[in-house]
This record gives sequence, C-alpha cells and structure tokens, in this order.
Amino acid sequence: MTPLTSHGTRTMAATKSTLLALALLAIATVSGLGVTRASAQDVLISGPLAGAPAVRNMRVYREGRVNLIPGVGYTLQDEYARSLFLTVEANYHFLDWIGVGLWGGFNMARIDTDLTTQIAAVGQTTDRNRLSLPDRAAFSDQVGRMVWAASLHLMFVPLRGKLSLFQAVFIDTDLYVFGGVGLFGLQERAATDVVASGCDTMIGGGSTASCIDSARARADRVAVTPMFGLGMSFYANSWFGVMIEWRAFPFSWNPSGTDESGEGRDRMPGGGFPDGVINGDDSRTTFNQMINIGLVFNLPPDQAITD
Amino acid sequence: MKKAWIAALTALVAPPRTRTAGRVLAMGALLLGASLPCGAAAAQDADMTFDDESSEGGADMTFEEGGESSGGGGDVISSLATEGDASGAAARAADSGDRDAPEREAEATEEIYAVQQIYALRINRVELMPSIAQSMNDPFVSHTGVSLGLNYWFTNVLAVGLNFIWYEGLESESDLNFFVRRSTRLAVPVNGYQFLANLNFTYVPIYGKFAMFNEFIFQYDAYIVGGIGLMRTRPIPVVDPVVREFDFGERISFNVGIGLRVFVTRWLAVFAELRDYMYLETLENLNVGFGADRNNPETWVQSSPAFVNNVTAQIGLAIFVPFDFSYNQPR
Repeated sequence: MTPLTSHGTRTMAATKSTLLALALLAIATVSGLGVTRASAQDVLISGPLAGAPAVRNMRVYREGRVNLIPGVGYTLQDEYARSLFLTVEANYHFLDWIGVGLWGGFNMARIDTDLTTQIAAVGQTTDRNRLSLPDRAAFSDQVGRMVWAASLHLMFVPLRGKLSLFQAVFIDTDLYVFGGVGLFGLQERAATDVVASGCDTMIGGGSTASCIDSARARADRVAVTPMFGLGMSFYANSWFGVMIEWRAFPFSWNPSGTDESGEGRDRMPGGGFPDGVINGDDSRTTFNQMINIGLVFNLPPDQAITD
Repeated sequence: MKKAWIAALTALVAPPRTRTAGRVLAMGALLLGASLPCGAAAAQDADMTFDDESSEGGADMTFEEGGESSGGGGDVISSLATEGDASGAAARAADSGDRDAPEREAEATEEIYAVQQIYALRINRVELMPSIAQSMNDPFVSHTGVSLGLNYWFTNVLAVGLNFIWYEGLESESDLNFFVRRSTRLAVPVNGYQFLANLNFTYVPIYGKFAMFNEFIFQYDAYIVGGIGLMRTRPIPVVDPVVREFDFGERISFNVGIGLRVFVTRWLAVFAELRDYMYLETLENLNVGFGADRNNPETWVQSSPAFVNNVTAQIGLAIFVPFDFSYNQPR
C-alpha cells in the first residue's frame, strides 16, 4: 500500500504535470493559431552553420539602386501589324523585392502580318464592303498601328536565385512581376462615313480617289491601358545584366480600319450591318502582348552584400 | 506548429514522475498543433518526412568565399530539424538535468560537404506530365488541348519520352476570320486538330534555385526538348462549307521547344513549356469548282501543302515516380 505522503506527493506531481501539459497544450494551440507560415529558421543550428541566415553573402542587385534598361520589344499575336519597339526602362527599388519604374518606347518598324499581305494581294472590294476596303492595295495603310508607349509600374521581385549552365557558368538571376498603367499612342484610320468619303459611288468599276484617300487618312489617339507582365534578369556582374520579359496591355482599337459595327443580332451581314461609318464603334478589345529584351545597367555600379 | 513539437518533445523527455499524463496530453498538443493550418508553409516543407531518405539531399547549400550562398533556407534547415538531432538535443538537456537552461526550441548539427547533392535526382525515374496546352500563334483558331507526357530519365539530364495532346472538342474559332471575311471578302483557310503524339528527347542544360523572400528555396531547371511525331488535322471548311467536309488526316511533325520545371517537392514539380510543332498542312482550296467539280473532294484542297508552325504553350505538373530515391554516393 502506498504511504499517504507518497501518494499525496505523486498526486501533486501528477497534478503539476497535468497542469504543465495543459499549459503546453494551450501554448501549442495559441502558437499554432498564430503561425501563418513555417519558420524553419527558428531551429537552433549548431556546428559550422550555427546562426547562419537562410541566404548568406547574397549580392543585392536592386535595393537602393537604379537600373536602366535599353532594349527592344516585339509584339506577339498581332492580327494585321507587328511592332518592333525600341524601349528604355528605369526602375528604382526601395527594397530588393519591390520598386517602381518607368517604361517607354517607340515603334521603329512597320511590319505587316501575313494576313495583311494576303488582303493586299487578293482582298475583294464590292459595293457591300467598299468603305471597309476601298482599295486592297491601300489596306496596309489603313490598319491601326502602335506608335509609342509609356508606362508607370510597380515591380515585385519574389524570386531571387542563381542558375548553372552546363555546370560551368553560374549566373545570378531573379524573377519579377510588374503591373501598372500604360499609355499607347495609336494611329488608326480616321473617322469617316460612306458618303463623306465618297465610297458610295464608283468610278470605272472601282473606288473613287476620295474613297481610297479615306483609307490612308490617319488619326492619332492615346489609349490608356493596364499593363502587366513578368520577366527574368540575369546578372553578369554587379552592374550589368540582361533581362527578358513579357508584357500584356489589352486595349480597344480598330486594328483593321474596317467598318465592323452595326451588325445584326446574328452578326451576319444584313440587319444593321454595315452602318457605313468608321468611328470608335468599330473598335474591339485585343489582348496585346510583347516580348521585351534588354540590357540591364545597375547604378551605382557597386553593390551591397548581405551578411 | 513548431511550438507544438517543442511542447511534445519537452513533455516526452520530462522526468519519469510526470511523464505519463504529460505524454498523453503532449501527444494531444502535438496532434492539435500539427493539424492547425499553416497559411504559407514553405513549398519544400511539404515533402518533409522523418526518414533518412528525405534528409539526404536537402543540404545543397554552398558557402563559397565571397560569393553568394543562397542555399538551404527553409528546405535545408527544416530538413536538419528532422534529422533526429532535435530530439537528441532535448534528451541531452533532460539527461543533464539543466532545467533552467534557456529554452532551446530545436537543435540540429549541420555539416558542410565539399560536393552538394542534387535536390531531386531524375535518373531511372519516370516523369508523368499532365498539362493543358494552348496554341500561341494562330489568331483564327484557338487550339486548346489536354496533354499527357511521359519521360524516362536515363541520366540526370537526358530523358526519352512521349507526349500526347488531345484537341478535338476543345478548340474554338475566333471572330477574326468572320471579320476578315465580312470586311475584305478574303477567306483564310484554317485547320482543326484532333491530336498529336510525339517521341521526344529532353536535355537539361540549366538548373538552379530561387529563394523566395530570402526564406523559401525552389529548385528549378530549364530544358530543351525535341522530337518527331504524328498529328491528325483537317481543314475547317470556310470557303464552301455547304458542300465541303473534311476528315482528319495524319501529318508527320517535328518539334523543338524549351521548358522550365520548378520543383515543389522531390517528386512533384510545376512546369511550363513552349514548343513549336512543325508540319506540312493540307489547306482548303480557296477556289470553288463549277458543276461537278464543286462536289469532287479532290478539288477541295490546295494542291501543295503549307508549312505550318504550331507554337504551343503548356503548363502542368511533373510527377516523378518512384516518389523516393536514394543517392548512390555518400555525401
């Protein structure tokens, strides 16, 4: 039989251990509720890595620095006209993972797609579509084109790392996403209508000169668009690198310079189509994209290295 | 959750008098803590297991002089925490009777190795790659497909495999062709796909790792892929749809592409790929015959095929089987 004192001691000990376990349970519960992410760095490391941060001696490419990026951009999935932009970008990063920047460029080449070339070669003008296609040879002149672009963006750099090429070349790299507001200078076919342009009459079985001229008349406009994308930078040294990025900038315009509005409910000719007017009603939204490649110059050239 | 582990470990190594009830409750705390959600657990914590296998490849940190040593992070250190040292340290603390020592949440002893191990070995593993595919360069028809790839890695950087994309029923014709036909009277011949199947070789020349917010480590690689295969396609009648109908036909295709694979665990990765499938396509004839010729199927297609680039983007998962692997060489 267990002595009373011993039993009492054991009871007290059991009570204390129960209280301790309950306290630990409460702590575990509270801490578990409060934990929003795993925090492996709290593990106490002994040995050579004791006290080492997750990443040691990391070269800081962005924080407190400006990067200037001259480059070229090429639009993708264009329907009628491609654009080759000469671009320049300037970013300043408050921290290594966030910054603001400006981007801009000019379209320095006028490149028709195969579709435009085909229309110019074999498109057919009839009384029904004379306003849309006054002269197939002039179609290349009536398509909408991007002239210049500018954007203000916020840049977010969630991934920073390095890569090995053929296990011989090691390059620092980072992956970033950005988003902001863009402005695009557009040149589209000028507004007109079938009567004012003279496309309601024929001369010698073809369109009148004024009708053909209406295809070549241009109007400038600025489109405001969201601009977003992602990219990767590859650093050769502390001040120089290259980047490749993808940009998207959906906006509404009339890329073909044709009369598209006034369609019937079934979208087939007839009903309200064509309305005989070239104007903003003929615009439609296209998901414009660009691949941008550039050279990265980091200023100042010297960079910080973390502990 | 980590603190739940600590509570459990502390209770488990407590003096014998207090162990029994404490252990039960501590296990309860452990289970409760473990079951609580952790909003953004590190990606590579997800494959944290408590066997010797998983702890082997984690220490891929490098500590070059003067260079960047972006290794480890959550992956390495969390792996270290699972190597049994934590319980060993706690046991030592208990054995020494040092109850007033500062709280030591967990302890691990790490070694530095001259040659670090690859995070996820591929050799002699099979890679299953379910994905979705989307054509990138056809403004007239959106070729959307579902894909399954299968690779066998006979070295860590070379694989031979098959990929299959099913398109039929998932494609859609855009409005562009309608607008073009209506405004310019130009019919652009377009084609639909049924499926493609290819034999591929994959090579991995680039691999690396990313640190996310200086804390979580993601291993990745970039690869090039190329091969030969078969496509089944057919023209979509746009010039004379009342009369013309087309059956699917086989085309030989060649493909070349690049891809990026980001490992989430040692057996699971997310991949994105851009591949150009090149083939000779049969297009609908833009001219309509008169009389009997109109109904003659031989007049429905163009006499010479057209070279077509079907640039396709794919995004999906890469699942490596077997899930576990062992390193041949000790580190």
